[in-house]
Amino acid sequence: MATDVQLRSQPQRGRVLPAWAWIGWRWVWRSPAAAIVPLLQPFFFLYFLSVIAPPKYFPLQVAGAMLFSTQNIGSWCLSDSAVFRIELRLQDIFVASPHDKVRYLFGVAFSNLIPAMPALVVLGVILANVTYVSLGGWLVLIGCILTIWILYSAIGIAVSTRLRSQREVWPVGNLLFTLLGILSPLYYPISILPPVWGGVARLLPATYAALLVQGALGLGGPANLAVDGGLLVLSTAVGLAAAWGLYEWRER
Amino acid sequence: MALGLRWSGSGAFFATEIRVQFHEWLAIVTGTLTPGALIVFVAILAADLLPVTLIGALVYSMFLIGQRVLNEAAYIRIDHKLNELYHASPLSPEGYFVGIAGGMLVAYLPPSLVVLGILELIHPLGLVAGLTLAVCLLAVWAVSSTIGYVVSTLFKDMKTIWPYSALLTNLFGILPPVFYPLSKVPIEWRSLVLIVPTSAAAILVNAAAGLEPVTRQEGTVAAVALAAEAVILFVFGIYWARRMARER
Repeated sequence: MATDVQLRSQPQRGRVLPAWAWIGWRWVWRSPAAAIVPLLQPFFFLYFLSVIAPPKYFPLQVAGAMLFSTQNIGSWCLSDSAVFRIELRLQDIFVASPHDKVRYLFGVAFSNLIPAMPALVVLGVILANVTYVSLGGWLVLIGCILTIWILYSAIGIAVSTRLRSQREVWPVGNLLFTLLGILSPLYYPISILPPVWGGVARLLPATYAALLVQGALGLGGPANLAVDGGLLVLSTAVGLAAAWGLYEWRER
Repeated sequence: MALGLRWSGSGAFFATEIRVQFHEWLAIVTGTLTPGALIVFVAILAADLLPVTLIGALVYSMFLIGQRVLNEAAYIRIDHKLNELYHASPLSPEGYFVGIAGGMLVAYLPPSLVVLGILELIHPLGLVAGLTLAVCLLAVWAVSSTIGYVVSTLFKDMKTIWPYSALLTNLFGILPPVFYPLSKVPIEWRSLVLIVPTSAAAILVNAAAGLEPVTRQEGTVAAVALAAEAVILFVFGIYWARRMARER
């Protein structure tokens, strides 16, 4: 079996990451819409919200758009890994290669972070222009973005391993990530949600990321950063464990 | 045969598409998520706009059917390679295009009926408003089905298609005043949004439902633009279906 062969001369750890980054970049380069849509997607929502919502929420919504865009990377990971496995039959090759399943997961997530980066940078510039962000605020925001990126990418890839047809990719990805995006108070303070909804939202990691960012930037009223940070770590750990349980590396 | 149209096999293909789509209940449910999200945003942040947003959700859902046509036509052609088999059969090209578009319309109607029920509860529509809604939704369906079908024939892999599908729904559904009133649009942009099919439909229904009055000139521009786009694009869709049926 190919996997039993000790391929010490082959990249064993970390060195394949630039290759995955290259895949992400090539995808952007070869498909203009793939580059434009992720860049524009959060701005469509932001535009809509700026039309209907009180202007005081705009800085909060820009920060929320950064988290929402990051969360959406999970949907692209789901789509990519489903195409790799179902259409291109590439996952079998990865399974037979020295590339283990954690690096595969991280590689797909990394390659999908590349198309999202321009939107995140532009949103960061807008955020800096509409509200004051301290160094601590930026660190909290970046930390939350990285946490959400890892968690939702893992969920996307794990779910994709259970899909049997490309036809399921769009509805499942849409259902999962739109629902998670709506339930978490990314675009408004949690205090204005109905109690039941607020309770459900508190089960989701993105809620604590939003609360942490809103608290660190002084946008969402009184906040307890230590508790929100602790609950973000805890809920992320639970989410990653669930994704790990769902993740099917080898075909059965 | 009017205009030389051939409809052989249309009925069977239409029925097949309806059955296929009803098996895709998850796709039907998830099609409601984006309009659902925007309704939620409005309910939380600007509840007074809810009737306008519900009408917008109906228009958007109709436009989304076109995007489902895009996915379905691409799936049949690229993934299943069934397209050539269909075109080699007695099924006519126009029957193929209208069958997919009609099947999607029927299959995706139930969620829209739920939205219509909610709208009736919070802002009942009169006869004129109801008729305007039905006609405008059919026009949006004709426009979006054609766009979806034509775009689906331009690509060679499914992965490339998804971003275009998302781009089209956002450009036609979220940006123009579909989920929000025309009065929120700056004056200099109003002439443009009156000729965008989705916003034209929403503006006409909002006016007929008494939610937002428009001037006679604005109403005329929106109605003429929507009618012309629906007819011209649907005829083009049939022409394109015939063209795509030929071997290249």
